[in-house]
Amino acid sequence: MRLEVQALETGYGKAQVLFGVDLGVEAGELVALLGANGAGKTTLLRALSGLLRPWKGRVLLDGQDLKGLSPARRARLGLGHVPEGRQLFPLMTVEENLRLGAAFLAPGREKEGYERVYALFPRLAERRRQLAGTLSGGEQQMLAIGRALMGFPRILLVDEPSLGLSPRLAEEVLLALKEVARGGVGVLLVEQNVALSLEVAERGYVLEHGRVVLEGPAQALAQDPRVREAYLSL
Amino acid sequence: MRGVFAFLLLFALLPFLPLGVWRAFLLDVGLFVLLFTALALSWDLVARTGQLSLAHGAFFGLGAYGTGLLLPHVGTLPALALGALLAGLGALLLGSVTLRLHGLYFAIASLAFSEVLRTLALKLPFTGGPIGLPVPPPFGGGLPLAGYYLAFAVLALAVALSLWAEKSPFRLAQAACRQSEAVARVLGVRVVRVKLLSLFLGSLVAGLSGGVYAMKALFLSPYEAFSLARAVEALVIPIFGGLYTTLGPLLGGVVLVGLEQALRLWIQEGYLVVYGALLVLAILFLPKGLLGLLGGRRG
Repeated sequence: MRLEVQALETGYGKAQVLFGVDLGVEAGELVALLGANGAGKTTLLRALSGLLRPWKGRVLLDGQDLKGLSPARRARLGLGHVPEGRQLFPLMTVEENLRLGAAFLAPGREKEGYERVYALFPRLAERRRQLAGTLSGGEQQMLAIGRALMGFPRILLVDEPSLGLSPRLAEEVLLALKEVARGGVGVLLVEQNVALSLEVAERGYVLEHGRVVLEGPAQALAQDPRVREAYLSL
Repeated sequence: MRGVFAFLLLFALLPFLPLGVWRAFLLDVGLFVLLFTALALSWDLVARTGQLSLAHGAFFGLGAYGTGLLLPHVGTLPALALGALLAGLGALLLGSVTLRLHGLYFAIASLAFSEVLRTLALKLPFTGGPIGLPVPPPFGGGLPLAGYYLAFAVLALAVALSLWAEKSPFRLAQAACRQSEAVARVLGVRVVRVKLLSLFLGSLVAGLSGGVYAMKALFLSPYEAFSLARAVEALVIPIFGGLYTTLGPLLGGVVLVGLEQALRLWIQEGYLVVYGALLVLAILFLPKGLLGLLGGRRG
């Protein structure tokens, strides 16, 4: 499975946010989308999953144009989205949150899904009967990723998973995403934590003011003087 | 779950209990408890998707007028069914234009819908206008318990729908819509469809309870059938009993409708002051409703 974005432009009302973005994510690959606050990273993810209508350009999933398809329809085609700020259902238990992830995308595969998520995040298994609102920040992020995995996505969009996490937990979560990619899922990781993302990702894009200004293998980006100066403050 | 069935059993057997001189009065109160509890459940069914409906008075009125107007021509049960369908059509019309609105905005739109319908009932040439519409009793008036058991059937239907929505994946879809629409969408929930179906099912039940009410009251006026007080009652009962559950509105309905009647008997003049004070106390001290007393969890 391959996600391809061609010359995408979009925004809110009259305010244009993206000015022609091109990028691609292959199955089994972890791709980092980097950039400062307001660069348009979250907007791009929202346009990919159908929560925001593109003005121009195309989003292709395995060559199929997603134009006009609802978010629910895109999710059924294998496009998973872990929204910014986790957005769990706090009054449901961990397991109910997970079940919700499978209920409409992979009904009947719940058992397989639980096993996969609990293998990836063993602490969720310990807390399966606990209300999601009572989990720590790191566990909530794990649950948000687990909930998206319950739908067996083939491309997974993850928005700022390290937000508000301690460095150690952030690393744990990003390594888990690496593991997900190894399992054959294409992961598009949106992050402000540039150093950590470039450690785990294979490739990366740098977004500035709604345009891709740099792209390439993660190692090359980490060595690039512009990235080092602007994002790694070296 | 057992509470729900005990409740239904009690009401099924009420006419056969030795009630003595109170029988006629208690059966009347019982009928209104059944109807308004069904209305409350139908409101809760919509509330579970996060939509605050003030149109339930309108669905109730559509069912009442539809049934009342058709009853002389097609007979009791078809008139009820068509009245409910009229309410359902109203809900689809309202829903298709407003369900993209959230919470308070939807509430205002549904209130406007309700006002428009009341004006229509006042002005249309065949509704009897402000003078009102006389309605015959069910089945020609030959069966004294017919109204009571029709009301019971409406409540049983409301309970069945509510239990289905609670036990099936539909519960997850509704809860997801209520808590975060964007997340519900990316998890594959067809949000508009879930909201529209909930509103449609809720309006059918509200329409049925309006129809049975019409045949019990024997007379409809636009102010009575489309009153905002009805819409408010439909939402006060679930909030008082416990939102997003089946048992909550059941408990709330029995206690509130029963309480209103009892206060009317004991205190008479000014009983609504006491009724209101009790509601305020309940909101202050029972944020989860009566179910909170039983240690119920909702979410």
